[in-house]
Amino acid sequence: MAEMVKLSVNGQEVEVEAGKNLIDAVGAVGIEIPHLCYHPALGADGNCRMCLVGIEDGRPPLVPACKTPAAEGMKVQLDAEHIKKIQHDVMELELINHPTDCPICDQAGECALQDYYQKYDGQESRMTVPQVQKSKKLDFGCGVIHDQERCILCARCVRFTRQITKTGELGIVNRTDDARVTTFPGRPLNNRYALNVVDLCPVGAMTSSDFRFKQRVWFLTRDKGICHGCSKGCNIFIDHHKEKYKDDIIYRYRPFVNEQVNGYFMCDEGRMTYKKENQDRLLVAKANNAESIISSAVDSLKNSISSSNKPVFLVSPNCSLEQMYAIKKLGEAKGATVSGFSDGYILEGDGDDFLIQDDKAANRAGLELLGVDTTKEAFESAMKEADLLVNFNNDLAKSYDAAALDELIGDCKFAMVATTQDALTEKAEIAIPAASYSEYSGSVINTDNILQMFNKAVVKNEPFDDIVNIVSRIGGDVNENSAAWAGMKASVPALKDVEPEQIPEQGLALNS
Amino acid sequence: MSDRSQLIETGTPFQFDAERDAEFERLVKRYPTRESMILPALWLTQEQEGWISAEAIGYIADRIGTFASKVFEVATFYTMYNLHPVGEYHICVCRTLSCYLLGKQQIVDYLYQELGIKPGDVSKDGKFSLEEVECLGHCGTAPVVQVNGEFHEDMDVEKMKALLATLK
Ligand code: SF4
Ligand code: SF4
Ligand code: FES
Ligand code: FES
Repeated sequence: MAEMVKLSVNGQEVEVEAGKNLIDAVGAVGIEIPHLCYHPALGADGNCRMCLVGIEDGRPPLVPACKTPAAEGMKVQLDAEHIKKIQHDVMELELINHPTDCPICDQAGECALQDYYQKYDGQESRMTVPQVQKSKKLDFGCGVIHDQERCILCARCVRFTRQITKTGELGIVNRTDDARVTTFPGRPLNNRYALNVVDLCPVGAMTSSDFRFKQRVWFLTRDKGICHGCSKGCNIFIDHHKEKYKDDIIYRYRPFVNEQVNGYFMCDEGRMTYKKENQDRLLVAKANNAESIISSAVDSLKNSISSSNKPVFLVSPNCSLEQMYAIKKLGEAKGATVSGFSDGYILEGDGDDFLIQDDKAANRAGLELLGVDTTKEAFESAMKEADLLVNFNNDLAKSYDAAALDELIGDCKFAMVATTQDALTEKAEIAIPAASYSEYSGSVINTDNILQMFNKAVVKNEPFDDIVNIVSRIGGDVNENSAAWAGMKASVPALKDVEPEQIPEQGLALNS
Repeated sequence: MSDRSQLIETGTPFQFDAERDAEFERLVKRYPTRESMILPALWLTQEQEGWISAEAIGYIADRIGTFASKVFEVATFYTMYNLHPVGEYHICVCRTLSCYLLGKQQIVDYLYQELGIKPGDVSKDGKFSLEEVECLGHCGTAPVVQVNGEFHEDMDVEKMKALLATLK
């Protein structure tokens, strides 16, 4: 437990964590100190002066809260007239050369400058001279578009590239009102985390070429999720929206703070995986090599399993723990070999020492925990004798090229329960569309053995079943997540004492 | 006030000549970190070439082992670094507060009238270039003009005229 101190803010006594800077310390008890340049992941830079507060103890009349640690007995003033004046003055300074065209700015609705103007300024401009003009729509690389006129020079983006990615592509050149963020000629943004500057930028100066002008942010529903791009399991906001007469689709992923997993950031590749939730989805079921309604495909798969002598069930390492468990139970009941072979998901050497992992699957640790075999040998030897392969969303094309796949499957009957329409679902005799991870609730275990829960975010007009339900429809016992948990708690020692409803937001570190 | 960030690319790689190379190595030992060499390395470049190109900034960054963006920041911040070729006589007029209040604009206007160059320009014959620079540190005797590094204080149009006569 962190040491606590008592201090007063505007005369009201609060108890806060000792040593934290005032912004974070009193922020934790719900008192906002406006700030632009400070960011918890980047530290205090002290350049914007928006966080100036008064402290009644004989020190100078104004001190930056971002650089002032909370201490016992401190008397912090936020509502004194001279503090309100300085906040207003800083806002006025920031706005001297800022374009006043919020309605056409992509950041509108989630802009610190806009919010603070409403809250701390609200005055008409007194400027009568023309504004300084700078460059707009600069392509900084990595899908980052910069508008120098909207920039308030807080240097968050610059500090990110220097402190976090250590690639240092960005700098603030010139001085005074000509100062601007730019890249050195021929050395654009070139790192795998560059799009984080778009989230870090408190204003509309950094935008994502992928997202900009696609959707007004106030229409977006922000739901929490887990990125399934690799085994880090970064926590994300799934920003989605259903336009009238259209389907619910995802517009972007943004990192959600989880100190235990991803901190404040996520990688660019992971950020773009939202597209797979929207596009190329398997929408139509198939039975006996022909399009069918889902229930016929389900019946057909159920019958195939019953009549099969040697079925093989292949599980995706991206399945939720609950899905894996359901598939495993069904496999046991039907005498199937259950495999989680997915070597192709592992890109040796692709990971780094920050977030990105070699393993491009969200829940390989789950396969291991449930004791599902993942070896190539076991899978291939089972396939030699198999008369039915039921593939639960495992992208075999990652592990085999087309010719090897043909050889592997041979005459074996091939069924897919899949989210994506691809060569595999083409090839399958039976194909059943399933919900993808933004459309179901479940849990995954990341590379550091942290168990994380996520909830359904997107609700499609015609939602597909979670694999757990599909498994139950083709003859499994487990029909919902709670049933899977009851079974897992009883059979998996590491999960014995885990209460799924009580998994903390930061995830639960399992003792390995 | 000007945008100095539009660097000029020469299209040829830059490197220190033997003398500057040796000087760089001598100086680098004086500092606790290599980044401290940004200012001296920019000076060395300017001494060698008369101005600092995009290639030179990239070279300095790589040589020091720092980000090009940082050297870029420093080079554009200080007006004493020439980011384009300058004339035989490089005239710097201080534009900061004291000099501003005491009439730097008359001097700048006069130079335009006389030489046809505005701050940032080089005369057609390559003889003169003009720049408005930040405080030259002689505010007590403002306005201040510097020609090829040499100070001329307490300036006015008359004195500027006389000074130009000695340069032509
Ligand atoms: S681009 Fe955004 S993050 Fe970067 S300095 Fe400007 S306002 Fe700050
Ligand atoms: S590091 Fe992995 S989990 Fe995190 S955003 Fe990237 S792909 Fe997704
Ligand atoms: S947040 Fe403290 S000075 Fe910017
Ligand atoms: S203001 Fe011109 S020398 Fe200082």
